[in-house]
Amino acid sequence: MSLDLDIPAGIAVGLSIPKLENREKVTGRAEFIDDLYRSGMLHAAILGSPYPHARILSYDVAEALEAPGVVGVLTGDDVPASRMGAFIKDEHALAKGKVLYLGEPVAALAAETLEQARAAVNLIRVKYEELPAVLSPEEGLVDDAPILHEHLDDYLKVFDTGSKGNLCSRTELSEGDVDTAWDACALIVEDEFTTAPQAHVAMEPCGALADVDAQGRVTLWSSNQSVFRVQANVCESLDLPMSKLRSLTPRVGGGFGNKMESHIQPLTVALALKTGRPVKCILTREEDFEIVRARHPFKIRMKTGVDSQGKILARDCEVLVDCGAFADDSPGVMGYALLMAGGPYRIPNMRARGQLVYTNKLRFGAYRGFGNPQVTFAGEQQIDQIARQLNIDPIEIRRRNILKEGDRWFAGPKIASNGLGRCIDAIEEASSWASCPSSKTPLGKRRGRGLALTAHISGLLGTGAIVRMLEDGTISLNTGATDIGQGSDTVLAQICAETLKIPINMVSVSSPDTDGSPYNWGTTASRVTYTTGRAVAGAAREVVRQIMEHASEILDVPIENLELRNGGRVAAKGANEDLPFAAISGRAHWAKGGPIVGSHTLVFEEPTHDPKRAIALGLPFPRIGVFSFAATLVDIEIDEVTGQTQVTEAWSAMDVGRAINPRLVEVQIEGGFVQGMGFALYEEMIWDGARLANPSLMDYKIPTSADAPPIHSIIIEDPEPDGPFGAKGAGEIGLNAVPASIANAVNACCYGVSKALPLSSERVLARILEDEDAS
Amino acid sequence: MSKKQVFTLALNGKEVEVLAPSGATLLDVLRDKLSLRAAKRGCNQGVCGACTVMIDDVPVRSCLTMAGACEGRCITTLEGYADDTVMRELQEAMIASGGVQCGFCTSGVLITARNLIAENPIARNDEIRSALSGNLCRCTGYVRIVEAVAKAAKEVAP
Amino acid sequence: MNFVVSPKSVDEAVNFLVEHPEARPMSGGASLVAMKNARLIDASHFVSLANIDGLRGIGRVGDSLRIGGMTRHSDIATCDLLKGDLEMIRLAAGQIANSVIRNMGTMGGAIGNADPAADYLPVLACADGEVEITGPDGVRRLPVLDYVLDWYETALELGEIVTAVFLPSPKEARSVYRKLARTPGDYATASVACCAVDQGVRVAVGACGPRPLRSREAEATLAGKMHDVDAIAEFGQALRELADPLDDVRGSSQYRLQLIPRMVSAAIADVMEPV
Repeated sequence: MSLDLDIPAGIAVGLSIPKLENREKVTGRAEFIDDLYRSGMLHAAILGSPYPHARILSYDVAEALEAPGVVGVLTGDDVPASRMGAFIKDEHALAKGKVLYLGEPVAALAAETLEQARAAVNLIRVKYEELPAVLSPEEGLVDDAPILHEHLDDYLKVFDTGSKGNLCSRTELSEGDVDTAWDACALIVEDEFTTAPQAHVAMEPCGALADVDAQGRVTLWSSNQSVFRVQANVCESLDLPMSKLRSLTPRVGGGFGNKMESHIQPLTVALALKTGRPVKCILTREEDFEIVRARHPFKIRMKTGVDSQGKILARDCEVLVDCGAFADDSPGVMGYALLMAGGPYRIPNMRARGQLVYTNKLRFGAYRGFGNPQVTFAGEQQIDQIARQLNIDPIEIRRRNILKEGDRWFAGPKIASNGLGRCIDAIEEASSWASCPSSKTPLGKRRGRGLALTAHISGLLGTGAIVRMLEDGTISLNTGATDIGQGSDTVLAQICAETLKIPINMVSVSSPDTDGSPYNWGTTASRVTYTTGRAVAGAAREVVRQIMEHASEILDVPIENLELRNGGRVAAKGANEDLPFAAISGRAHWAKGGPIVGSHTLVFEEPTHDPKRAIALGLPFPRIGVFSFAATLVDIEIDEVTGQTQVTEAWSAMDVGRAINPRLVEVQIEGGFVQGMGFALYEEMIWDGARLANPSLMDYKIPTSADAPPIHSIIIEDPEPDGPFGAKGAGEIGLNAVPASIANAVNACCYGVSKALPLSSERVLARILEDEDAS
Repeated sequence: MSKKQVFTLALNGKEVEVLAPSGATLLDVLRDKLSLRAAKRGCNQGVCGACTVMIDDVPVRSCLTMAGACEGRCITTLEGYADDTVMRELQEAMIASGGVQCGFCTSGVLITARNLIAENPIARNDEIRSALSGNLCRCTGYVRIVEAVAKAAKEVAP
Repeated sequence: MNFVVSPKSVDEAVNFLVEHPEARPMSGGASLVAMKNARLIDASHFVSLANIDGLRGIGRVGDSLRIGGMTRHSDIATCDLLKGDLEMIRLAAGQIANSVIRNMGTMGGAIGNADPAADYLPVLACADGEVEITGPDGVRRLPVLDYVLDWYETALELGEIVTAVFLPSPKEARSVYRKLARTPGDYATASVACCAVDQGVRVAVGACGPRPLRSREAEATLAGKMHDVDAIAEFGQALRELADPLDDVRGSSQYRLQLIPRMVSAAIADVMEPV
């Protein structure tokens, strides 16, 4: 239900209000996890496995315990056999019995100083029996492959995964009849694509600080994207009742999926429990690369068929995904990639299936886009290929095929708002697509332009909000949604302020705390503005209802004759006299009704799969939906001497339903673009056998201010009927289409298709050499 | 066994004495001993830029500066610019522009940017981008940071 | 321990290094402290050269230009004396890392490491630079190509430090430094230094082997044929033959071999271009 669309915005919603915590950040006073201290605090260091696959035979911690300053040592013997995991519970708090990737934490210790901890940790002696390692999904699927998870059958799984051997999960979705549809196609393109693993490289490495009180209750601060996922993971893996752990949030220095599930919180808590003292563990940058998670490398086979007008008749997509050592969010990533593999197009016959395979490498997990960038890289190139072969303009061919409002997404979810057509119009105009820039290409360079379309969901899982009116009429908002810097505290406060018609400085936003905050699945999946925003609007409306009840009694006016006035006041319509919220709150607190509290919780209920339209096997998320849309266009320049490719300018138009805070939406477009550009051009985690060869910022490069291009961010608003003020998500969609648009630009000036990411200068030079050889 | 020694530093306009391990970097001392935590440890290898501070009027990496090599040198951290008009312009511009997201890179960015516009108030966008290329940001895409620096530069230009 | 000591003279520094074999000389500190932070080294002392007079600065000494070992990249990158056929040195300095690191890193520190992808090595090799080394047995000079011995290995003996680099006085001639790097400021994937000389060019290739590549023989063969496209291509191939690159995270050895003739031709075209 949506009352929000009727309230004219202007007090808060629609304004580019600076984020509430910015002053703290520009003065250096923001406290991140490494800025927190507890008296008596110890510092942790971690010992990683030297083998990718091995049984742990024994530990000898005597020498380590003797080392100066060491207070406690933790091994797998100290943690329970319980396992945690978002989809498949396959992971212990610390390696137990086996190690499954090189660098996997196998022991840890806590000492008085960090220097002492790091000096002593290598004194922990572990005996291993090395086992043969599986280093690719193909290897993992071979009949007599070494098995990583020997008890896979016994693990708890939240959906029908089809797990077997090293196959972590399998998923298949289909609509129509792909196999017979090819005959009707005038043109078919088919190719195999590969994408490389990308590191999140949030500027703040992961960290945690755990303390235990006299009752044995744990208080845990950590850099996170969800205090609730942290709580669940720690408690599941350490056999703690959830009531015995309080999970809190300092300022978070960036999270792009790396901090959504737990990282080192379980072992930090275990160390605190063991030593009886507060323990802080902050990862080095190298450890942050090596032991957290990364973006899944995909192998994609994609086949697309069209009629002679370029209308898509069929698409078949098959993916082989490297899971790494633990399932983590991987089944969800693969399932989501398959759900998005058709792109934002009407495709009557579509099949998408995949296999996710365990390997002896770092777990791959949630990363902005969640599988969508990888399949979009493949699919959007095929659209362009088809356009080229049929001599149809790449924008025109997309217009002929895009989904419209009222259509259903592949497998079933409804599309209630769809501004994609306007996104295309916007970038077409802003970039002067039709007339194409006329400046002459310098000698030795090639220039090209490419575009790509994408969509992304916003509605997923559960959330809640509590709005309380304090005694003086000001407002406290508590949602449990972690602000990772993207500005959700501010956006949610804007929704709350707008609903109550108060200035935003009357709203204070509580920090996520499992003790006091309502459940929120997490800051991920581009969901907070839409899902939590709905809960905030609902809770604020409940407060309005109570305000009205009080005012009606105080003023002796029927509720329908009352109105809220700007600034925190309520009055009879047309009357001069009004009541400030403070008066209402005073009455509630001291005389009648009780303190004013509004709460609203919801879980996203729209089913992913409509069994009348589609077949689904192994679908990891039964309820997902609400689509944002985007169109991204880039100009590139290639140096013919070296193959180096640069983006010289970019346009990105995004339909977010309603921009609660336009500036923050623009920054999501821009930040997402640059992170996607890195993924497209040179970011690649490189494994040298079992060892990650580039776990440092010297060797793994992310874009700098000097190579990030000027970006034109365009906001399109096609209101989502039940979004808060019409809003839907913005967090991931700015990245999804970037590698595809860059690939299409390269394909516009080099022969062929870009089969692999990153489009390194080496790969592009190979294309140029092919051209040179051909001519 | 690490040895400790007393370091005397000229820091934010004052002389301070601090006891720290002899192998400590300036970043270690600022954060662990002096509670000056604006400078952040993003990589401890000098690449990310989050630890940038001013020493003798040039921005440098505090994570790559030995505390023992700071004798007789003048150090200024973000905290030391609390009353500086150029820094204030920059901070206000960053607050308004959207150039602050998670905030982890912000202190380093402000130090480098302040130095740039104090020396070169008519810095063009490409010069700003070049000067800031050693301050990595993963959140913003740099657009709003550059915008903020350009705006502040105009405000302070004579 | 990593205790910092700050001698006031080169002799003091050298003597200290000889007496404390576990000590390391520290110039800008950028590389050394990064290695300490990564726990890759644990020296007894860091011998800082920062307070020694006479190690900083660029100036004429007779027929040569002298760059003091403690001269910062930022100063080299803005030095007017590095012009003409020495401009490539200024250009290389300006592409090292970023503006903040350039305030810290020094010529002596950079070549002390002999990182094969470092920017100074090819330009110094191209410019016929000489490295001045001071040690317990006195002062000596080595041409750059004799100073760099192998991957990360130099001719420095115990107690020796780089105190200066000497270059012939600049001549009026074009010089360029072409660097391919994944992002601005990264180490070079491959680089080419080139300067024009009477009738020909001098060229050195960096990041394609343990030492910069230079062939006076090939340069002599090319002399007088600067408008002969085939001769230039052959020249590039000759340098390619000398290369011994590795696969690393910045690129494969095969890619580097492809790059050498292309970047060499392009660099030569740069210096031959009428101004």
